[in-house]
Order: sequence, then structure tokens, then C-alpha cells
Amino acid sequence: MKITETIFQDGTHKWVAIVRDPDKPNFLIDTNEYLVTHGGAGMLIDPGGAEIFPAVFSALSSEFDPSALSAIFASHQDPDICSSLALWLEFNPQMRCYVSWLWNSFIPHFGGTAETFISIPDEGMDISLAGLTLRTVPAHYLHSSGNFNLYDKVAKVLFSGDVGAALLPADQSDLFVENFDKHIRHAEGFHRRWMGSNEAKRRWCERVSQLDIDMLCPQHGAIYRGADVQRFISWFDDLQVGVVKG
Amino acid sequence: MTTTAVATSTRKASRAGVDLLRIVRINEEIKRVVSVSFKINIMALNAIFLAKRAGTAALGFGVLSNELRVFSQDLRNCMESLTGLIHGCVGEVSIVLQDIRFTRLLSEAALVSPNSAAPAILAQREAENEMHAGKLASLRNQLKRALEDAFQMVELGGVLAKSAKIEAAYGQSFAVPLAQVSGEFDGIVEEIRTSLESLRRSAFFTGY
Ligand SMILES: [Fe+2]
Ligand SMILES: [Fe+2]
Repeated sequence: MKITETIFQDGTHKWVAIVRDPDKPNFLIDTNEYLVTHGGAGMLIDPGGAEIFPAVFSALSSEFDPSALSAIFASHQDPDICSSLALWLEFNPQMRCYVSWLWNSFIPHFGGTAETFISIPDEGMDISLAGLTLRTVPAHYLHSSGNFNLYDKVAKVLFSGDVGAALLPADQSDLFVENFDKHIRHAEGFHRRWMGSNEAKRRWCERVSQLDIDMLCPQHGAIYRGADVQRFISWFDDLQVGVVKG
Repeated sequence: MTTTAVATSTRKASRAGVDLLRIVRINEEIKRVVSVSFKINIMALNAIFLAKRAGTAALGFGVLSNELRVFSQDLRNCMESLTGLIHGCVGEVSIVLQDIRFTRLLSEAALVSPNSAAPAILAQREAENEMHAGKLASLRNQLKRALEDAFQMVELGGVLAKSAKIEAAYGQSFAVPLAQVSGEFDGIVEEIRTSLESLRRSAFFTGY
């Protein structure tokens, strides 16, 4: 089973990270899922692949009633992001899934009906969660061509999807980045190979530099907080991406 | 969910997987029969022309060729309905396979979170699984019956081909070409019969 860690809380407004499953088979990439709650409403961010559904479900159930989830945010179309969609919908068929317009006819192959999907335009949009505004931040081509981060201005949390991801060795299970230089070695290869556009990366760095961020939460690996957030953005800005070898 | 239940769903999944393979093979065999019965149609047309040329010497043969032509058309119609049923089976087995995977994942969720909504959702899912399994069983029976009908029809085709062989002997100067044509008929009908025999014996119908 996965563990849940509340990384932000102010009354009913919470960010819960659902991370690290010691029972997960190694052939499946490790993922982080996040739950945002506000005023009794809940949104699940990048709910994960179908095979890890039981682990995510049980962890989430310990914090929140899965039938009360009103929305899912899918940063992009990958199977590790949302191939569990059909299973979550069993608990609440009215649940909505926010996803880039680019993928709104692709993701239904994982489940859902025409009513399930709310398309996010390229420039992004605001999502309201019982009065809390969550801003979808464009991160196209990083790595997916239709890709969004999710920013919570109040909690100062940026969910960054595959940006900031690190493929950590099994013995490194810290929730937060503790030693940036050591950590970033596990992120370098991933960013070079998965991220496709230096231009898109430049624009993303400019865009998120303007946001007030306490925590940058990727879908794989550890969470950057405090000064490590800016450190990561500068590191990424300097990195050459779209490289197949080297 | 107990380990036994997990084992059951694994068993169900592999059975559905095997079913799908069997259906694919049945479908390939049916496609073969369809193309062979198309050949009969053309052969029957040629036989009709041949009988016309032979005139009074091959009246009986002409009548039989006409019958064989009707037979090949009937056989094709029959194969078309078999193909429709087979496609229905593929659809149901695919649903069953997907359901089995989801049931397994929901069962695991229910096992670790027995106090959540998971057990209730699992029960709903299982009821739906039963419904699809029922549909598949009914399609399987329909397919079995349609195959029996096809087999009966081919028996009739065999009789027609054998009679044509006998009639050919009375074809005087046309006896040799008529014998050749009726021999080919008989060969093809036998080929179809062998195909249908193997389809009837498919483990998809005979059990596991
Ligand atoms: Fe991805
Ligand atoms: Fe990912």
C-alpha cells in the first residue's frame, strides 16, 4: 500500500501526496499522486496507472471518500498518469476529468464518456474546487505536446507533472529533496531524454519563475521545497534537452 | 478478497484469453469456408454451361449443377451469419477480459479497504460480469446451432456432388469433362465438411 503525507493544510484546504509503495512491482515506474481537498470537495491529480489503482485507492480512502471526488486532473495522456480512470469513475460516474484539449478523444480509450472530459485550452484555465481556484499552467512539450501543471496560489504549491521528475534508486525514498546536487543526478537523464523542446523549456522556466512557489511537486521522485524550487528552475533552464544520447 | 478469489479471477482471465484465441481460430476457419464456397459458385456456373453444351446428354447433370449453385449461395449466407455471431463473441470475450482485470483491481482495493465503497462497487461489477458471461454463453449456443445447420447443409451438398458424379457417367461424349467437374465438386464439399467437422470439435464448444 502507498503512504499518504499531508504536505499542506489550512482548515479543509489540503494537499496530500500519495507516494512510495513498497509492494509495487519493479517493472512499473513509481509515481506520485496528489489529492487536493477544499471545503469537502476533492480533486485527484494524475491518479496513476490501472495496476497501481488498489494501492492508490486504499491510501486515498484513508484520507477522503473516493465517491466524493468531484474531479480528476490529468497533466497529460500517459498510461502512468490516467489509465486507472475507468476504475475511479466506478466510484463516481459524475466525476469530471480535466485534460488538455489535445487528448480529450484519446484518454476516453482508458474510460469515461463524452460528459467526463473537460478540455483545457492551450493557454490554460482556472478550475474551481469548492471556491478554491486552481490554475492550470501550460507546460506543453515537457514532455507531452499537450501538458499542464497545476498551481495553487493559496498553498503555493505547483504540481509539475513530469517536470522535476527523478528516477530514484529504491533505497532513496525521502518525500522531499534533501540534497539537491545528489538528487538532481537522478533527474538529469530523464529531463534530457523525455523533454523534447529547449524553447518550450525556456518558456516554462520564465512562466513559473513568476509564480510564488513553496513546493514543486513532480509526478515521479521527490518534492522540491524552499530554495530548491528556484534551484531546480535554474538547473532546468541551463540543461540541454531533446538529446537522445549522452 | 481471499487468495482463492484472486486465483479464481486469474483462472477466469486465462480462460477468457484461451476463448479469444479459439474464437480467432474459428473465425479463420470460417473465412476459409467462405472463400471455398465462393469457388463452388463459380464451378457450378461453369458446370451449368458445360451441361448446356452437352444438351440432352447431361440434363440430370444440369439440374444438379443448378442445385449446387443454390447450395453454395445458401452456404455463404450461412457462413455470413456465423461470422456475425463470431464477431459478437469476440466483443463479449473482450469485455469479459477487461472486466476480469478491473474486477481483480477492485477486489484488491476492497481487500485493503474493506470499510470503503470498494466492496459495494465490486459487487456491482461482479453482477455485470455475470451478465456478460451469460451473453457469451448464449452466443456460444447460437453459434453451435448455426454450425450444426451448416453441417446439415453440407451433408446435402455432399449428396448433390455424389449424384452429379453418377449423372456424369451418362454424359456420353461429355462424360470425361463432366466427371472431372463433379469430382472437383465432391472434393470441395469434402473440404468444407472437414473444416466444419474441426469447427464442431473446437474446445470453444466442447468445454474446457
Ligand atoms: Fe509522461
Ligand atoms: Fe510520468
